[in-house]
Amino acid sequence: MSKGARNRNSNSKARPNALTERQTPWGVIAFYGSIGVLAIVAITYAFILSRPEPAGASIKDLVQKDDLGRDHTSGTVKYDGAPPMGGDHDPMWQNCDARVYEQPLRNENAVHSLEHGAVWITYRPGLDAAQLSALKAKVSATGYTFLSPYPSQKDPITLTAWGSQVGVQSASDTRIDAFLRTFVKGPQTPEPGAACDGAKDAP
Amino acid sequence: MTERPAPGRRATAVLVAVLLLAAAAVAASAFLRSGGPGPDGPEAGFARDMSAHHAQAVRMSFIVRDRTRDERVRLLAYDIANTQSQQIGMMTAWLDEWDAPKADPGGSMRWMGHGAHGGGAGGASGARMPGMATEAQIGELQKADGRDAETRYLSLMIEHHRGGVEMARAVLARTGHDRVERLARTMVDGQEAEIRLMEGMLRERGAR
Repeated sequence: MSKGARNRNSNSKARPNALTERQTPWGVIAFYGSIGVLAIVAITYAFILSRPEPAGASIKDLVQKDDLGRDHTSGTVKYDGAPPMGGDHDPMWQNCDARVYEQPLRNENAVHSLEHGAVWITYRPGLDAAQLSALKAKVSATGYTFLSPYPSQKDPITLTAWGSQVGVQSASDTRIDAFLRTFVKGPQTPEPGAACDGAKDAP
Repeated sequence: MTERPAPGRRATAVLVAVLLLAAAAVAASAFLRSGGPGPDGPEAGFARDMSAHHAQAVRMSFIVRDRTRDERVRLLAYDIANTQSQQIGMMTAWLDEWDAPKADPGGSMRWMGHGAHGGGAGGASGARMPGMATEAQIGELQKADGRDAETRYLSLMIEHHRGGVEMARAVLARTGHDRVERLARTMVDGQEAEIRLMEGMLRERGAR
């Protein structure tokens, strides 16, 4: 930089010789410096824009899990978490076409529905009747969702997709809609295009 | 003079080029993001609802193939199941491309202006899609056999197609998007032709 400044200044008769000049060329430094800073800002901005935000990044307290098994088994699977967020599962998926179940489901079937891109909404039995009917209305109106009680879960209401989960206290929590918009047939779906009907119809 | 280009000038040129490239990248990515129809527009609403509508046609077609040996009904069902599955895939790819959600928790049919009144199955917050069979009707189809299964399927599918045509016409009235228009138009033409075919098949069976 200072070499460039010297070179330029040496051509100018009006100015003192840069070689003998003691002053720091602040103007030149500021000029090139600001171009450099601008470039760095622009490149960083472009990089951030070009990187897709991970799904559900805006959902507070979202829990995520990866490296989930995807094998079929008709046996019992030991899952982490209640309800499970994925893993090996039964060959039969639980029908998840906007379906309301009144009884708890078998994990192994429900996990297969998660693999198909469904969102499983579960609630702790004893949920307030108005809240439960709000959930039922929502699920009945939204394809690729299903609802069932889940006695051993921690939160009153839990939303689960393959590898993602959020617990909420109330059916009016705005994270419910955000979760559905993000994860119903969302980018986490291990098997895009798979059906939510035609398999297990009863709990 | 044997002077090389001034290093300062070269640095400036490089920096300006980098800056321009970065600006172009920002502009291009902003353009790509805003390029498609919006997540709540009629195109995305149509893609979401028609996917759910089609999924039921696929389901009924698979059921009737298990319930009858009639080759013409089985072939028609094969055709409908394949066509509509493929179209679900096309519409899903649009939603991916537009960065639009695959579900609208606000309820179906809002893009057709049906959002205000409820009344869907199970207290849906949107309106019910036209032509959809009820769970009870599907249950009856699943239990029926032979001629009975064929006439049930044909009647349900005629209604289903009529609803599908109504939805496709509704999006045609609301969009100028090339690919959406093209697919919706083929749905109108294709399903209307199949309605005429199925009405004839029903008449042959003395059911209409």
